[in-house]
Amino acid sequence: MLRIAIVGCGKIADQHVPAIRRVPDCQIVSVCDQELLMARQLGERFGVSNCFSDLGKMLEETAPDVVHITTPPQGHYPLAKKCLESGAHVYVEKPFTVTAEQASSLIQLAQSRQLKITPGHNYQFTLEMLELRQLVEQGFLGGRPIHLESHYAYTLDDLDNVGPILGNRRHWVRQLPGQLFHNVMSHGVARLAEFLDDDLCEIVARAHQSAELQTLGGEEVLDELRVLIRDRRGTTAFFCFSTQIKPVLSQLRICGPRNSILVDLKSGSVIPYKKENHKSYLTYFLPPLLNAREHLRNARRNLVHFATRKLYQDYGMTELIRRFYRSIQEKTPPPVPYREILLTARIMEEIFSQVYPANLPRTDLPNVVARVEEGSERGAPLGIL
Amino acid sequence: MNADYIASPKDRILVTGSNGFIGVKVVETLLEYGFTNLRCFVRPSSLLDSLREGLSGSPAGEAVQLISGDLLSRNDCRKAAEGVSVIYHLAAGFDKSFAGAFMNSALATRNLLDAFLEQGQPKRFVSVSSFAVYADWKLKRGALLDETCPLEDAPQERYDSYGFGKLKQDELVREYGERYQLPYVILRPGPVFGPGQKALSGQLGISAFGLFFQVGGSNLLPLTYVDNCAEAIVLGGLKPGVDGEIFNVVDDELLTSRQFLKAYKKRVNRFRSIRIPYSVAYSFSLLWEKYSQYSKGQLPPAFNRRRCGSHWKAHRYSNQKLRERLGWKPKVNLDTAMASFLSQFEPRKA
Repeated sequence: MLRIAIVGCGKIADQHVPAIRRVPDCQIVSVCDQELLMARQLGERFGVSNCFSDLGKMLEETAPDVVHITTPPQGHYPLAKKCLESGAHVYVEKPFTVTAEQASSLIQLAQSRQLKITPGHNYQFTLEMLELRQLVEQGFLGGRPIHLESHYAYTLDDLDNVGPILGNRRHWVRQLPGQLFHNVMSHGVARLAEFLDDDLCEIVARAHQSAELQTLGGEEVLDELRVLIRDRRGTTAFFCFSTQIKPVLSQLRICGPRNSILVDLKSGSVIPYKKENHKSYLTYFLPPLLNAREHLRNARRNLVHFATRKLYQDYGMTELIRRFYRSIQEKTPPPVPYREILLTARIMEEIFSQVYPANLPRTDLPNVVARVEEGSERGAPLGIL
Repeated sequence: MNADYIASPKDRILVTGSNGFIGVKVVETLLEYGFTNLRCFVRPSSLLDSLREGLSGSPAGEAVQLISGDLLSRNDCRKAAEGVSVIYHLAAGFDKSFAGAFMNSALATRNLLDAFLEQGQPKRFVSVSSFAVYADWKLKRGALLDETCPLEDAPQERYDSYGFGKLKQDELVREYGERYQLPYVILRPGPVFGPGQKALSGQLGISAFGLFFQVGGSNLLPLTYVDNCAEAIVLGGLKPGVDGEIFNVVDDELLTSRQFLKAYKKRVNRFRSIRIPYSVAYSFSLLWEKYSQYSKGQLPPAFNRRRCGSHWKAHRYSNQKLRERLGWKPKVNLDTAMASFLSQFEPRKA
């Protein structure tokens, strides 16, 4: 039975607790927040009696095996470091750390202590992303990806969420080097990092402020981002973050030398596109019908998932937690390879250095990722060749 | 100083949430009462149009101090509470998550209470709560809901983060009252209506699939018109001899759900509604709740028996305590209030 603790008892912790409770052989033994009242409200609602405002005391008194860090990102590095030093495995919410250097330092510390660490890239473990991975591993693409596209949209419609960020320069989101992008885009970048090589030779990032954000008083906050990436092996990637695109998108497209795949995380769909040659006008009739068949297949599969109680909102988080705990118990590689964590952190840092140059100096691209020797649950990207 | 009040016009009064739907009216009412040493606390992101409009209606409005800050910041709370004698705490941050609701309600209130004790000259802390804290679903149909009604003991089962935040806020205020002898009054208004608030109360029914499902029909709505509610809140901060008391705020004349919707439909274009009997709504809520449990939250318990009973079971309401102890009486009668509320909608074409 793994003993679990949670540090940071805000909104995200409310998602973690039910997800942890779906995983067998674990128990939440303590919760901690610098505001004891916050720790107590979480403990009271979920029946956890050990509530702390001091992390050191919590680690000492409850000796958790795994600590989930669900604080604002500025706290991730020091808190994770302290937990690792105390001998606990760590799940860190996204974004993993504020800087790539911190990410590297945490991973090295975890490795030196034979502990495991994972970022909260839970959207990598949704049902549709698992199906995508299966297709790729089966060689559906026909080789290494030629091009990747990740769209990640965020809505400004909910002013209860956005208002406090825009209205307060001291808000923790505004204190991040990449501001709004920094807090939410790692899901979209991590999707690309999985299929890109460690050595990147080009990242071009452009950002601006939308008219809507300007109207809302966005000041220096940017909310429209486009990025082009190329790795040493020639795979290119396009990343689009937008607050304006409607409907709100969360998609990944992988184009291979033979076939391509589109994953739509909003509708839980995986649409494979096969290279097919149709005679004459059939090219206008058959492909749409074949696509329709794929959409129907997705609808049917989602209905089955609903009937079997798998279509709940935080499936990805539960699956990531389950795999992370299993990797600890069975001493197998963690679910998110460390090279992906580092590559995601490096790409994000380079983007921020270009769009917010005052916040971050530019990095030296050829050394984008310091290589980390590791095994991984799903292997390095070269495994897809 | 008016002997009927605990504060004099010279006393500094702080109003949080002063740019909100009710807050603006509270500020206007205080100015009408002659309290001009006002400090209005607003969030940095607030658009201040309605507050400025409210202040412009009074010659003393120019003297009102606006202070911008975040109640989650202890420093901002200290600045706001400096030299203050009465606090009207109306700020309410809505959040779908329980943790967020707790933070915006209870944690913010704790910061303000501490700052008041530290920096203020406390005469009274007026906390604006809500009917959402009551376990009124436990009452029988037709029973009277007054200040003695039991409080909700499982807001999570009711899937009501707002109610949870307000419950915890009330607990804190009472705790500070007992522990630090801080004089306080808690006001619990029913749904507040008036111009500027277009959304229909959840106690009428549910909007879904482009339709409005009206639940029940003969159930009374515990509404309070915004001017009447503001009057009650202002009196809650001024009347002597009511420290530690809780007051429900509802108007004298209450409409049934059917009467309210009929008047609304006459005024509003393209509004289609379907009436659902209470028993059907209750059965649906029961099924939904059971499926939510069976599916381990695949469907969240958005519909559940507690919420159904609380919103739509026919109760009676009383403002007797409000009238007797605070000397409140509605400034605006029902006809005028409804006319004013409905005036904000497009008239139905002939």
